Amino acid sequence: MKRTFSLILAMLMVLSLASFAHAQEKDWEIVVVPKDASNPWFVRMKVGVDEYAKETGLNAYQKGTAEIDATLQAQLVQDLIAQGVDAICVVPVNPESLEPVLKQAMDAGIVVIAHEGASLQNVDYDIEAFSNAGYGAFIMDNLAEAMGKEGLYTTMVAHVTNASHNEWADAGVAHQKAAYPNMTLLEEEVRVESEDNGDVAYNKAKELFKKYPELKGVMGTSSYDAPGVARAIEELGLVGKVFTSGTGMPADNKALLESGVVRSLTLWDPALAGKAMISLAVKVLNGDTIEAPIDLGVEGYTGLTFKEGSELVLEGQGWIVINKDNVDSFGF
Amino acid sequence: MMTKYAGKKPGFFSRVDQHVLRLLLVMAVWMVFMALTRASRFYTLINFQTMASQFPEFGLMSLGVMLCMITGGIDLSPVGVANLTAILMALVLKQLTPAVGGSLPIYAIPLVFLLGAAIGACLGVLNGLLVSKVRIPPILATLGMSELLTGVSIVITNGAAVSGLPVEYAMTVNSKIGALVPVQLVIFACMAIIVWFLLNRTTFGTKIYLLGTNPQAARFSGLKNDRLIISTYIISGITAALGGLVMLANYNSARANYGGVYVLQCILVVVLGGVSPTGGKGRISGVVLAIVLLRMLETGINRFPQISSYYISLIWGGVLLLVMVLDYFSNGRRYLRWKRKMPF
Repeated sequence: MKRTFSLILAMLMVLSLASFAHAQEKDWEIVVVPKDASNPWFVRMKVGVDEYAKETGLNAYQKGTAEIDATLQAQLVQDLIAQGVDAICVVPVNPESLEPVLKQAMDAGIVVIAHEGASLQNVDYDIEAFSNAGYGAFIMDNLAEAMGKEGLYTTMVAHVTNASHNEWADAGVAHQKAAYPNMTLLEEEVRVESEDNGDVAYNKAKELFKKYPELKGVMGTSSYDAPGVARAIEELGLVGKVFTSGTGMPADNKALLESGVVRSLTLWDPALAGKAMISLAVKVLNGDTIEAPIDLGVEGYTGLTFKEGSELVLEGQGWIVINKDNVDSFGF
Repeated sequence: MMTKYAGKKPGFFSRVDQHVLRLLLVMAVWMVFMALTRASRFYTLINFQTMASQFPEFGLMSLGVMLCMITGGIDLSPVGVANLTAILMALVLKQLTPAVGGSLPIYAIPLVFLLGAAIGACLGVLNGLLVSKVRIPPILATLGMSELLTGVSIVITNGAAVSGLPVEYAMTVNSKIGALVPVQLVIFACMAIIVWFLLNRTTFGTKIYLLGTNPQAARFSGLKNDRLIISTYIISGITAALGGLVMLANYNSARANYGGVYVLQCILVVVLGGVSPTGGKGRISGVVLAIVLLRMLETGINRFPQISSYYISLIWGGVLLLVMVLDYFSNGRRYLRWKRKMPF
């Protein structure tokens, strides 16, 4: 009885698993490894990867770990190396722990493309959605459009010590000086700190609007800035008189966008980044010479250039606008 | 020397028990399945070498957890111990590296292993004291310890990774002896043999089985329970520290939050390996098999692009329950038969 039972169980296991497995052979196997499989940001990336695989007929797919964990990610990449895939596109959980593993991949002749891992050395290329200067100018364009290209504005960052936020803000101010002569920077307070906290952003904005009644716009950088400022605008009844724009996540800010308190927020789209990584991997596998500007045939990644002083890091123009029309289309 | 109690001494492979057979069956099913579907990609030398270099990390930690569970306790702190050890040893390695151009002194790697093991032993003493003298339930004592150690690690590193280590250390531990056997596997095998020896060839082993079966009987038999518990947690600390040193080499860096998933994996592996969660029962052969099985399952699943990683936890849970159900069907029935024969 026991032996029969075990045998039946064993057979069931093999059969049920076999139904999952039907191999498909195509020229190259390109795997995208995100930080994990369940984070909405990477679920969105998978949408892009699957779409791209379907469009191009490539054997490209995304494979993530069940949770965000540097060791799990490294082991998944090791397994892919042992499996002999042709290219690995990875968004590192933690660049340091992945370096030795990516070196193994490179040594095994596997093409390695990274995203948001600009410090990595053992990669063919790293793709960043944009340069800091380009993104700052883009936020400024959005703010200027909302403000009618005129009026007094200031900038908000998480901390004045945060490198990327301040580069965005500096670039935004530089862009305003070049392109929007009727706008002026609030000289008394050129940079406000939100401490990466929506409540702090909200309180700072309320103070600002009371202290400087003529202030017409706030450029946000951290994803808490513009939404926090928007709450202050709404509460003080300044909708339509004062404007803000900056980085923000779609789902969190749906209400603000739909009610018109905020015209537009800025972000980059993980789905496009996923497509861009695969496209670049194909180019490298093909043996194409990689010379800037590179056209990957993906929106926002048609004119990639090398980051200053780097031969590995490529920067695109992969920023996107989020407004009331497309806020529902991202899934995060 | 304690007298052997008849028929209770388990050998490594000599007397293979039902549970180990069942694990072998599950493993065989999986290997047949992989052969049928992914033979060319699973049965390669490099794949087995990769697996053999992956499982020692949590395999080493599991050995310690197993010993603690045999005494009727549990150790939830191996990852905390491993990370703190790895961070401290990473700092030592950086100190030992000559400022300009030189290579690591020859004594550095043995030194790091000795120091690391010593740190693990000290942390094990703390765990043991909390459990035996302060009488905190092991699950809480070691959980608290784990949080404390992670906190200390974060304070030391400010939450960042310690990297930029000399390459010699990672290269040595990551290399393959005779271009075939990964060094990580050798470290694991040595520790497994030591633990097997302790459990089956020393009075210490016999004593902790007795302690786990019935602590009161153990005390009345003249065993020094507290000292036994402290020794067990010391060994667990050492195996965890070695796991940390292997992690340090595999990722060439150390950080407070590496290997967060290993705590539950260790417990899963130990229970899957047939160690009774209430203590007193368990064999190293079962645990080693369970460690290898777990790695083979995960690597195998990674061979299928279509199967989402969510299924990994589903399959682990499934396998754990399956093995326990099979256990019930054999042991339970035998137990019932035995009960029926009893006069009252």
